[in-house]
Amino acid sequence: MTVKVLSGNYAQSYAALLARAQVISAYPITPQTSIVEKIAEFVASGELDAQYVKVESEHSALQVCLSAAALGARTYTATSSQGLLLMHELLHWASGMRAPIVMGVVNRAVAPPWNIGADHADTMSQRDTGWVQFYAESNQEVLDTVLEAYRLAEHRDIRLPVMVTEDAFYLSHTVEPVDVPDPATVDAFLPRREPHAVLAPGRATRLGSFTGPDHYVDFRHDVGAAMDRVREVLPRVEQEYLALVGRELGGSLPTYRTEGADVVLVTMGTTTTTARGVVDDLRAEGRKVGLAKLRVFRPFPEDELRRLVADVARIGVVDRSFTFGRMGPAATEVSAALYTAANRPELTSFLAGIGGRDVTPHEVRRMFETLLSGEAPTTHWEDIEEEVKVDG
Amino acid sequence: MIEIRFHGRGGQGTVVASELLAQAAFLDGKIPQSFPFFGVERRGAPVTAFTRIDDRPIRVRTSITRPDVVVVLDPGLLRTTPVTEGLTSGGLLLVNTPRRAEELAAPPGVRRASVDATRIALAHGLGTAMLPIVNTAVLGALARATGVVTLEALARAVEQFVPARPSENRLAARDGYLGVRNADPGAAAPAPAPFAVPAPLDRPEGPVASVSSEVIHTAAWRTFTPVIHLDRCTKCNFCWKFCPDAAIELDADGYPRIRLEYCKGCGICAAECPPKTIEMVAEA
Repeated sequence: MTVKVLSGNYAQSYAALLARAQVISAYPITPQTSIVEKIAEFVASGELDAQYVKVESEHSALQVCLSAAALGARTYTATSSQGLLLMHELLHWASGMRAPIVMGVVNRAVAPPWNIGADHADTMSQRDTGWVQFYAESNQEVLDTVLEAYRLAEHRDIRLPVMVTEDAFYLSHTVEPVDVPDPATVDAFLPRREPHAVLAPGRATRLGSFTGPDHYVDFRHDVGAAMDRVREVLPRVEQEYLALVGRELGGSLPTYRTEGADVVLVTMGTTTTTARGVVDDLRAEGRKVGLAKLRVFRPFPEDELRRLVADVARIGVVDRSFTFGRMGPAATEVSAALYTAANRPELTSFLAGIGGRDVTPHEVRRMFETLLSGEAPTTHWEDIEEEVKVDG
Repeated sequence: MIEIRFHGRGGQGTVVASELLAQAAFLDGKIPQSFPFFGVERRGAPVTAFTRIDDRPIRVRTSITRPDVVVVLDPGLLRTTPVTEGLTSGGLLLVNTPRRAEELAAPPGVRRASVDATRIALAHGLGTAMLPIVNTAVLGALARATGVVTLEALARAVEQFVPARPSENRLAARDGYLGVRNADPGAAAPAPAPFAVPAPLDRPEGPVASVSSEVIHTAAWRTFTPVIHLDRCTKCNFCWKFCPDAAIELDADGYPRIRLEYCKGCGICAAECPPKTIEMVAEA
């Protein structure tokens, strides 16, 4: 094991190297580009024995991975924002064709107005495409989760694509110490992909062609069932990672100081780190507050969430994007999951960090105080002064 | 925890500087966190980068608004960017400039330091006169002025991680270390110079920005100014045609006039001028 000072993007690249990805295809987009640039260096230097396919768009990049995965290859791609949106059609193809692609996504705002800052609107818009979604808090978690993602994606009971996301700049371009495991350790955790070539030269097979109402529903149901099985497989994979690499990954909804908490804040990605410090401060003042990190968004950890709120009076969900006409997308999901909970806490959807704004300790503290006040609104935008009128 | 904010321009190595500092701090046994912020990724555009260094894991992931140290890689930014924003008594302002530290404007109680990193960089062949790569010389000065990293760790980080010319960069770091000049906080520090950039845009009304991009004085990027020697000008208008920012207008007599509030100092007019009547003059 070696500790390197790496960016979140390079953590993705090193993970693809350690996973011995065989086919890489991607199209550059800020702030993702340095991920695939580094991988291109690995391939050019011979460090990574892979085919690097240059393409003219993100749509084509995912098509390359899709085809290679159908032939049994381990594939990797990465994108962000508009690039992910352009892939949208093929995201559905990937899950429907049960292609175990792993993709790094740098969470970036969607235009217009043009913006390259951290924002979850790009991946939240892909909620229903049948991809497993992980949101990382640190560069270490990026690297570990990409390795975990291959095990999940290629697991015989799952065979679904997985995206591992990281906040633009706050991780993608942030350098910090990252423990890079030895190749031999990773090989033990993640052996070569089990031969599972859906397509093979010389064998007539159809993949993804027309299916009528008689069978189509079975294919869709299977994708859903596979997604549900992630809940069972994930803890087993994480146990193995702990045993071999020595690091705990935390499951779908890791918690922080939630014992006896009256209010709990649910965060995603890098907001979590800042919120940990605030929880420590408030606990030191005797306030009963806790934190839960929504690490896996699909499949949604509804059981963990219901257990978490058993004795909680109020819950806040911090979203870095917005579902127009509703509330934050994570808040919407949390709210739906709690409908069947024995104890249903009051819920506030906080919108913060949109388009690369800082989510400061001061802001997180204010969220906790709003929740503790007992008079929390349903939806609250941080630092919005006035409504922007379209027609004056 | 110490928080350092870098201000520079795209192409000067600002982002690399913040990363090299993080690598050096790590070699010193510290825990670093470093990241850049940029709106547009272009040469000459103002760039900000942030580095935090601590003995414990860092529990905040935001940009730095109350820095302990501000490092300015391009003195031109002193006129266009509020670089000392959030810098308070006890902090340090370090500027790449040929001027003495005493001449720098800083908030009360802020220590000042200067280093002629441009001269050092050019002496070691790093970058060009138009765009010197000053980051390693500035880091050397920072190491000396703050003690936040050792020169040994910085030299090792430079050797390992600079994208090009490691030996020259290591020497530049050493010269920056030796060449830094310090000044105590001024008793009554002069007020910051007025900004050349106009007030921020009005808040957009609806989906369309309510003001023309004409109010954005892109000259904030300029490090070299074109000066036309009209006595030799043939009125060929090549400069007018080639200016990528349409910053050159023709007067009633057909002579080119440069609208300096929009000129980014790219030097294309000087390169294209057939009789070579345009001279690029370094901004002070």
